[in-house]
Amino acid sequence: MASDLLSIGASGAKAARAALDVTAQNIANASSTGYVRRSVQIEEVAAAGGLLRANDISLSGARIASLHRNADMFRQAEVRRTNSDVTRSASELEGLQNIETSLEQSGVYTSIVEFEASLQRLATDAVDSSLRAAALASADAMAAKFNIAASSIATAAEGLQFDATSDVDQANQVGRELARINLGLARAGAGSSDQAALLDRRDLLLEQLSGVADVSTTFAADGTVAVKLGGAAGATFVQGKDAATLTMTSAADGTIAFAVGGAALTLNGGSLAGAQAGLAATVEYRTQLDAVADSIAATVNTAQGNGADLTGATGTAMFSGSGAAGMALALTSGSQIAAAASGSAADSRDSTNLAVLRADLGTLDPAGGMNMLLFDVSSRVAARELTHEALETIASSAQVSLQEQAGVDLDTEAANLIRYQQAFQASSRAMQVATELFDTLVAIG
Amino acid sequence: MTVNLSTSAFYAKATGQMTTLRGEANELQEQVGTGQRLTRSSEDPVAAARLRTLSRSDRLAEIDQTGSDTAMSELELVDSALGSMADIVFRVQELATQAATGTLSPAQRAALGVEVADLRSTLVTIANGENGAGHALFGGQGAGSAYTDNAGIITYAGSATGKAIDLGDGQQVLPSLTGPEVLEFQVDGAPTDLFAVLGTLASALEGDGTDPVAASQAALTGLGAGLEKITTSQTIIGARMNWVELMDDRRTTNGELRASETEQLGSADLATTLSRLQQVMTVLEASQASFVQLSSLSLFSQLN
Repeated sequence: MASDLLSIGASGAKAARAALDVTAQNIANASSTGYVRRSVQIEEVAAAGGLLRANDISLSGARIASLHRNADMFRQAEVRRTNSDVTRSASELEGLQNIETSLEQSGVYTSIVEFEASLQRLATDAVDSSLRAAALASADAMAAKFNIAASSIATAAEGLQFDATSDVDQANQVGRELARINLGLARAGAGSSDQAALLDRRDLLLEQLSGVADVSTTFAADGTVAVKLGGAAGATFVQGKDAATLTMTSAADGTIAFAVGGAALTLNGGSLAGAQAGLAATVEYRTQLDAVADSIAATVNTAQGNGADLTGATGTAMFSGSGAAGMALALTSGSQIAAAASGSAADSRDSTNLAVLRADLGTLDPAGGMNMLLFDVSSRVAARELTHEALETIASSAQVSLQEQAGVDLDTEAANLIRYQQAFQASSRAMQVATELFDTLVAIG
Repeated sequence: MTVNLSTSAFYAKATGQMTTLRGEANELQEQVGTGQRLTRSSEDPVAAARLRTLSRSDRLAEIDQTGSDTAMSELELVDSALGSMADIVFRVQELATQAATGTLSPAQRAALGVEVADLRSTLVTIANGENGAGHALFGGQGAGSAYTDNAGIITYAGSATGKAIDLGDGQQVLPSLTGPEVLEFQVDGAPTDLFAVLGTLASALEGDGTDPVAASQAALTGLGAGLEKITTSQTIIGARMNWVELMDDRRTTNGELRASETEQLGSADLATTLSRLQQVMTVLEASQASFVQLSSLSLFSQLN
């Protein structure tokens, strides 16, 4: 006799038990990050008829063929791609928003207007010491506001650099981990629970890496992955059990550049690309802010040199230092403002030179320049915000779509629990029948 | 096709939607609270840039208003000083007319002469008056007093031109006149001033040897010309006051226009904002309720 009812029942019970274990595992991991729903594939165990037993019944029950991992490669790739886009735009947007806040909240614009206003007020009575003191105080406030704006931009840039450094460390860590997983995958059996766990870990790490830089992946049949940074044409980062090192260098002006294994690398996605773009924008706006500060200082200082102060002496420079960060008030007393024309006597009520200074400032229009600068950065932020919102929507729908397909549905698992419990009970019943059959045969004897 | 909606996807979707709604409600609440539509420039870059320009114009208009107020008060001071000068000329004209009759005794004439001399020194004091900032009212841009008294000889010490004050929109006003513009004139082609006329008259009446009657008659001619000059000055000052008031009106109108534009660009319309807030809150409440309903629908809760 080729079939054994008892062992068929036992194998069915064993298969049902294994399926129950997998269901319980799914339920337990319903909210674990990166966990992909498993399902068991149960197959029949039967032998083909042998010699002289062509039509014999030869049944041996059922067994677990493999543990299936319900991952969709395409949806995972979509999640990685959209994740790179969204992290790049998030970190670039953060950089730009910081610049916007620095320029706007420091009140540079208002202080320029106040400076203009105080000069205009001084023009009504150029020898009034309180008006002169007020003009000097507003000049001091303006220089201080420029300093504040420059230092908060510098702080924002430092923040971006700091984030980028830690992202590079994370990328290197993920790279080494992926290489180790590749090694494990090469040794794991296909369809084993061991392999499924490694694949889960691999996909989670790839998703993390895609948040840092844009990745291009190639999967081998055994599940090992080759990773390139910077898209399909980029540099090889992980290949088999080897991981290269990603490095970051920062230039004197604060911009950053990347290299893999010493070769320069261009990144198009991920938070690193965003930080790079954000830092480039920081340099751009800092230069523009410096230009506004320098032009004000140059115009005012030139006019000072062409006039006479309250003592009749030739005026000295009002501002010292260069750039928004270095701008400082050089005058110590309101009487040093050169309002009168050159060669005027002491205490002259002449305000020709002040009029020239105001006309020159009017032509320069620093408030207008600052307004344009603020408009430029804020409209850029507004445009990036729109893009970011769109990218976020795309990324979250890709994420949800992957979760829908690969995640655990508790209702399905509840149904499976009942199904496999019934299968277990039925197989147990078959074993009971085998015992009863045996008892019947013994009773005959 | 069956859709396998996993539990985590359901929760992720629901929380995502509710977070978005809560964010919207929060933003609207902030607009209601502050009354401002914009908290950052990037929310509406064009409007923000325009608002900055408007605030700058407002600030500079404030300074123009201060300048205008200064000019107005100085013009008023000049006007009252000119009035006093005219009064002095009237009085001296009366005295000169009395002295010109020839029926007065030398002692009576001398008394009139003393009064003329007093009036002359009062005129000097008025001409040396100061404005609110302590500068000579009739001294142009000179640093000290407008007139100096050198042993009875009164000489102008100020500058030839006055100092204009900005009224905004590129307009200026001279808030005063210089001493020569008010007090110097020509009699029979010869340049003279009120001080000289009064001085000559006083000394003739006090008995310096010249014919007091002829001197009084000559003084009357000079006083007529001087009065005309002062009256003309009063007219000029009046016209300038009108000009300043006109500019004030214009500034007020422009200020109102700016305020209404600022209101349009930067303020949150309460009715619209509140109704949008109500709408968002309703949707949020509905999605919260449906989320609670759906999440309680688990097969596990049906199993015993």
